[in-house]
Amino acid sequence: MIQAKKHGPVLALAILFAVVLAQPAFGQVPPRFYWKGMNGTNAVLLISMSLSGNANPADHANTVLPGSIIEADIVIAGYAHLFELFDRSAMIAVLLPMGRISGDVTLGGLAFNEQVHGFGDPMVEFDINLIGPDPIRNIPDFMRHEPGFSLDVMVDLAFPIGEYDNDTPLNIGQNRWYGRVGFPIVWQLGPWVPDRRMTLEFLPSVWLFGDNDDFMGQELSTDPLFQVEGHLTRNFAKDLWGSLDVSWMNGGQATLDGDEGEDSDMRGLGFTLGYQLNDHAQLTFGYMATMGDDEPGDLNMDRFLISLTFGWHKLIEGMDRIGGES
Amino acid sequence: MALVAGGLHDTTLAQEADRRPNIVIILADDMGFADMGSFGSEIPTPNLDALAQNGVRFTQFYTHATCSPTRSMLLSGVDNHLNGLGNMSEMTAPNQKGVPGYEGTLNHQIAMLPELLNSAGYQTYMVGKWHMGKQPDKIPRARGFDRDFALLDGGGSYWDMTNLTARNPNSLFTEDGLYLNELPKDYYATRTYTDKMITFIDEGRASGKPFFAYVSHQAPHDPYHLPRKWRDKHVGEYDMGWDITRQKRLARQVELGIMPEGTPLAERLWFMPMALDLAPAARAVMGRKMELYAGMVENLDFHVGRLVQHLKEIGEYENTLFLVFGDNGPEGSDLLQMLTGTPGTLNYLFAAINWSQTDFKAWGDPGSFVGYGPGWAQVSTTPFAQYKGMTAEGGLRNALIVSGPGIALEKGSIHHRSVMHVADIMPTLLEVAGAVYPETLEGRRLPPLFGKSWVPMLAGEVDVVRSDEDYLAWEIFANRALRQGHWKIRWQWKPFGTEEWELFDLAGDPAELHDRASSHPEKLASMLELWEEYVEANNVIIPSRAIFEAVDDSLPQRFPYAPGYPPIMTQRQYEPPADLFKESNK
Repeated sequence: MIQAKKHGPVLALAILFAVVLAQPAFGQVPPRFYWKGMNGTNAVLLISMSLSGNANPADHANTVLPGSIIEADIVIAGYAHLFELFDRSAMIAVLLPMGRISGDVTLGGLAFNEQVHGFGDPMVEFDINLIGPDPIRNIPDFMRHEPGFSLDVMVDLAFPIGEYDNDTPLNIGQNRWYGRVGFPIVWQLGPWVPDRRMTLEFLPSVWLFGDNDDFMGQELSTDPLFQVEGHLTRNFAKDLWGSLDVSWMNGGQATLDGDEGEDSDMRGLGFTLGYQLNDHAQLTFGYMATMGDDEPGDLNMDRFLISLTFGWHKLIEGMDRIGGES
Repeated sequence: MALVAGGLHDTTLAQEADRRPNIVIILADDMGFADMGSFGSEIPTPNLDALAQNGVRFTQFYTHATCSPTRSMLLSGVDNHLNGLGNMSEMTAPNQKGVPGYEGTLNHQIAMLPELLNSAGYQTYMVGKWHMGKQPDKIPRARGFDRDFALLDGGGSYWDMTNLTARNPNSLFTEDGLYLNELPKDYYATRTYTDKMITFIDEGRASGKPFFAYVSHQAPHDPYHLPRKWRDKHVGEYDMGWDITRQKRLARQVELGIMPEGTPLAERLWFMPMALDLAPAARAVMGRKMELYAGMVENLDFHVGRLVQHLKEIGEYENTLFLVFGDNGPEGSDLLQMLTGTPGTLNYLFAAINWSQTDFKAWGDPGSFVGYGPGWAQVSTTPFAQYKGMTAEGGLRNALIVSGPGIALEKGSIHHRSVMHVADIMPTLLEVAGAVYPETLEGRRLPPLFGKSWVPMLAGEVDVVRSDEDYLAWEIFANRALRQGHWKIRWQWKPFGTEEWELFDLAGDPAELHDRASSHPEKLASMLELWEEYVEANNVIIPSRAIFEAVDDSLPQRFPYAPGYPPIMTQRQYEPPADLFKESNK
């Protein structure tokens, strides 16, 4: 007579929300990134990206290198933990990029053909909810959770310890501190039924960069870069969802030994498909490309992305071991 | 109205058309005895409670144990084994097929309450669930209603025409005697029925006639379909589970005077766990079902309030007699599972297509089918035992509110003394309207009414409707009962019953906890004689097949009720004296 068992899979999904962590290059956080999960949830993720364009995709400043043709295969490995702080949902995550970057780069009249590989700059992210539902402390909370209108504040900080070679303009590490402050917004549209979920999501943020005092022997400084990311997401079926993704960036003027470049003004358009493999794992595929990028100084880039996220929670693990009764 | 103290059954007075009261019957579907605030519920029902405060509550009112038999007796005044609903049409047994009285629809051997009220000069309106025949000669218009907006089926979606089985995929509706292919825009059953009734009343006012309004709500019958804004009014309030909720309701009943101090609570059904033993998530899931049910009742109350308010606004409220009750005990069975739960069947496929919105967040939407199950059903019927379909008190006894003109009893009072029956309503309302039950109708000799008019009691002339020698009896699906005075005999399929006649003294044991058959054999014997008399007089044919005949094989074994057994389920961690701990562990 007790019918909790058939809701077991639903409950187990508690561990997966909000842990689709990613921090891919050219500044696009995946849709549904800031959905909330149950306190105590852990997650690991792998994001594999293939990028092509005229900027170093490992550089979040997206500084355009006119005339360059750069290819990159980058994987980001990450770990996230969800917890409660000051009665609000919070998350701490670490992300480590790695991979290969190659291409023909023209800089200061010099042509470089480079191939670099190794680990990039690890990044730490902290996020805490400011406006929105109470933290998800247990499974009943999770079952009743709906984002409604949710506003967070998040801080990213990258540590300049990745692979860096001052002889080349193409590096996976950036040899400078950088990070950002942003305000993730999730706005629920309609009922919160798994096969009909729909959200409008925004992430206005500003990237801040320290100086690279040895960019091929010169000092590279970059102004703040303002960015707004947007996603309209919708479930097509219980386990399948899609998103229309847009991104706009402005600012980030680079100065090389006093020689000022131009502000970036980038618009990107893309999509993401997500599929829930099981109660623990989710797979996403996405593509994004810059728009209005005909001028040599415009950022011209595209990106394929595949991500795999695996989440777990000790309570759900225990339920799994004894057969799913909740 | 000057109907109090002797006026109410004065036909001369009653026949003055402009002074006869309007009549509104608010019939709730599967609402339990304890679901209204004025009967001990925590569910907010301010509009129904206001009717109770302006009228009288009755605690010994009986319907039948299922829906269409009750409705048939309400509108015919004749025992269901004679009026065509000897069994529900969906459950007619092989030995009942073709037998008059078991047509599964209201037959033509009877006179209908709306027919007779219509002849007596009343406008007659009906909205909501009918469930007593779909053929052209069985629909509300054919049975005496001037206006109708009717769901002919016994249930289905509140949002559209979706019904429950592959061979009966669409609910059938009529409006003013014509079948419908589509429903009004923005249809939601409880709201639309109320809107239609208000329209009927308004459009009929020019006639100057009083009206009889049969407001036969589908709510709160499952599926618990509910507009979103009504779904989340009680989030988390029922996580405590059915045991504590029942105890609280009983405490409120005692406080209100609905039940006397010391009233025992029926046993928790042996196949249901103690709710506090459930994990929080399971309680949240179970609690959500009750949250939705509470929302259904609250929404029903809201729309009753709209109708009452409208009558006040048009100046008819003071001259309207209201009767409010549920049609049987609350539903504890899983209707959808019973109909569609077998994989590989057409009905299973039908449910996969039409009734598969099973997600917690989708409950209440079109395509969802939520019922609250036996644990909560016993909450709805506090303090009684069991639920719909059973002849235990939980299946038969219901809350009744009578409010309006012609009542000499103290406003807001609770009446415990009189044993009353749904079939009493026909003679009562005929008397109120100054109408007479004829011996023949269109050449047919009519069966006698077995109910008794409440008018003398409401007028304060007599204390009770029936004496301790009178009896009431019921049979459905072979479950049987007979009540005489405070004694009751009951036969039920195992394991809800014993498949033997049991004897209960309802005066001290309304929860039917103690079978007195062995200690009072002479009482049992005399009541069995009455039972045989009832069977003979009312064409009762015990069905050769019944839906509960195999329940004994599908439920856990039933053992004698022993609260707290086994103790291991409630024993807490022993905490040794602090000073006896090993030093390093202190």
